[in-house]
Amino acid sequence: MKRTDALVNVEEVSRRFALDHSAVTALDCLTLAIDRGEFLTISGPSGSGKSTLLNLIGCIDKPTNGRILIEGVDTSRLSASQTSALRREKIGFVFQTFNLIPVFTAAENVEYPLLVQGISNAERRRRVAEALENVGLSARANHRPDLLSGGERQRVAIARAIVHRPALILADEPTANLDTRNATQLIELMRDLNRTLGLTFVFSTHDQRLLEHTPRIVRLTDGRIESDTSTEIASHAQVFAASVS
Amino acid sequence: MLKFLLLAFRNVFRNRRRTVMTLLMVGGGVAGLLLVGGFFAFMFRGLRESTIRNGLGHIQIFNAEHFRRDEVHVLDAGISDWQRVAANVRSAEHVRGVAPRIEFYGMLSNGVKSSVFMGSAVDPEAERAMSFSPRLASGRDLAESASGEIEALVGTGVARSMSVKVGDGLTILAVTADGALNGIDVQVVGIVNTGFKDLDDRYLRITLPSAQRLLQSDRVTNLVVGLDKTENTDAVAAAFTPRLRGLSQEMTMKKWIDLAAYYKQVRTLFSGIFLFLGIIVFFMVLMASVNTLLMAMMERTREIGTMLAMGTPRPWIVALFMLEATITGILGAVVGLVGGNLIGVALNASGLHLPPPPGLSVEMAFRVLHVPALMIGASLMVVVSLALASILPAVRASRLQIAEALAHV
Repeated sequence: MKRTDALVNVEEVSRRFALDHSAVTALDCLTLAIDRGEFLTISGPSGSGKSTLLNLIGCIDKPTNGRILIEGVDTSRLSASQTSALRREKIGFVFQTFNLIPVFTAAENVEYPLLVQGISNAERRRRVAEALENVGLSARANHRPDLLSGGERQRVAIARAIVHRPALILADEPTANLDTRNATQLIELMRDLNRTLGLTFVFSTHDQRLLEHTPRIVRLTDGRIESDTSTEIASHAQVFAASVS
Repeated sequence: MLKFLLLAFRNVFRNRRRTVMTLLMVGGGVAGLLLVGGFFAFMFRGLRESTIRNGLGHIQIFNAEHFRRDEVHVLDAGISDWQRVAANVRSAEHVRGVAPRIEFYGMLSNGVKSSVFMGSAVDPEAERAMSFSPRLASGRDLAESASGEIEALVGTGVARSMSVKVGDGLTILAVTADGALNGIDVQVVGIVNTGFKDLDDRYLRITLPSAQRLLQSDRVTNLVVGLDKTENTDAVAAAFTPRLRGLSQEMTMKKWIDLAAYYKQVRTLFSGIFLFLGIIVFFMVLMASVNTLLMAMMERTREIGTMLAMGTPRPWIVALFMLEATITGILGAVVGLVGGNLIGVALNASGLHLPPPPGLSVEMAFRVLHVPALMIGASLMVVVSLALASILPAVRASRLQIAEALAHV
């Protein structure tokens, strides 16, 4: 079902991977709309297509069939450099293994997306400080990742994902490598950023701790949507979107 | 861009052990080239200066006819008014001295045995003024003998084959400028080691007046000009041109490099060897670096995937890898320059000598010159080599599929 006001429209998207003598269908004609300001979890067992869906929404993979629209732009029609620019400006990524640049400090890691966007030095410094403050890591700004705990690293990753104020933040199993205390803190942090800054978060997870805090859950099984709790959240998202606009 | 440079610089030292190994390899290549090239440069300089000071001089002036036709008789195409020519060039800047010479051939005999010689007649005072002293194995240099004896120096090979020693007499025979046969008795006052075995087996040196008496001519074959520095040869040759005009004979001149056939052969041979070594080092650095950089790329696959996911333009990834390789090359060059020069200083201080090379009869000193052009060339070579080596890993890194790279373990 396509909604013209949605931030992301996934329209009848399929993704098949060719193996040596066969093909695996990771997503099978999947349709999904994500509104601005949503805090959405994609859950399901291993191999259900969660990461594949996130990769497609994040424009780091291309669907075999169907199309994905971000802010109304058909991403399948974009050139490689346009896709790269879209990711740079509109999307923030949080990875399960944090994926911080090990030779950069926390502040430099957060600064990187701004560097790629060619933002001025003074503006970069201001935004980095703000982002680190948002995640409560101002005091650890000059520490390299190997001197940070797992929870701190993931918070740096979140600061990096939000520093350029993207329209959409995609997080692939963000709590999978964290203990319960850090996972809970992280979930609360993301939920807080979602509420206060109006950032749109989309997660893939099967972490029950995260699911408990998520207003909308899309469950995938064998590349199809098994259930979507969007009915209850839709009204909330619309109210939020209206208040932001 | 500063941050990008910082990223590249820090990445270089990410895997310290591997970086140290790479720097040692690159530095070793540079140091090797500096030592070999520095030794060759020392050898070239030594050969050049010994060639010049063995009598070739920096510039030689001839009657132009000397190169146009073969002489029917000795000194047929010699310089007749040589004192005037010598005076004309002696006053030029950088000229240390001008020495007249006669080159001639003949037979020498000890009364029992005869042998062919290659003779050179010189003005001993003029030669000494330019430090063109012969390398004496025994005896002394020529002097105008007060007793009227005609003095001669002979090569070590001549002395051996003719069984003569200092103080012994020899008879030399030659064809005069008129085509007649003439002979004089000489006394051997010194035995010379020219450094060239073939020449030592034929070498005879007498004074200019003695040769003019023997050859019945007041001409000379050429005038040998010695300069303060070899580097001034071209400038002085240019200054000579107007000074050699308007004389009774047409004059021509040759620079030392035009006459030093052996020097040129040696230089060409060793330059070829050095080029070959340079190519080997270049490819050694190239291949080893490609391997190292590919390993680095594999290790950083997920990180590159993350950077690409965040919208890093692919050319930036290429530039990052090339920058890292270039930084490694520069650091390796610095290691090589420091190491090579230190080893060079140590070798120079050790006073090493090498056995005589083929064709020479004296030991050769082992010295390494510190040649700035060589340092720049070797450094540039390894930097370029590393930059080239990074192209394949850099392009591979930039072409990674992001989703696959992020899933890389």
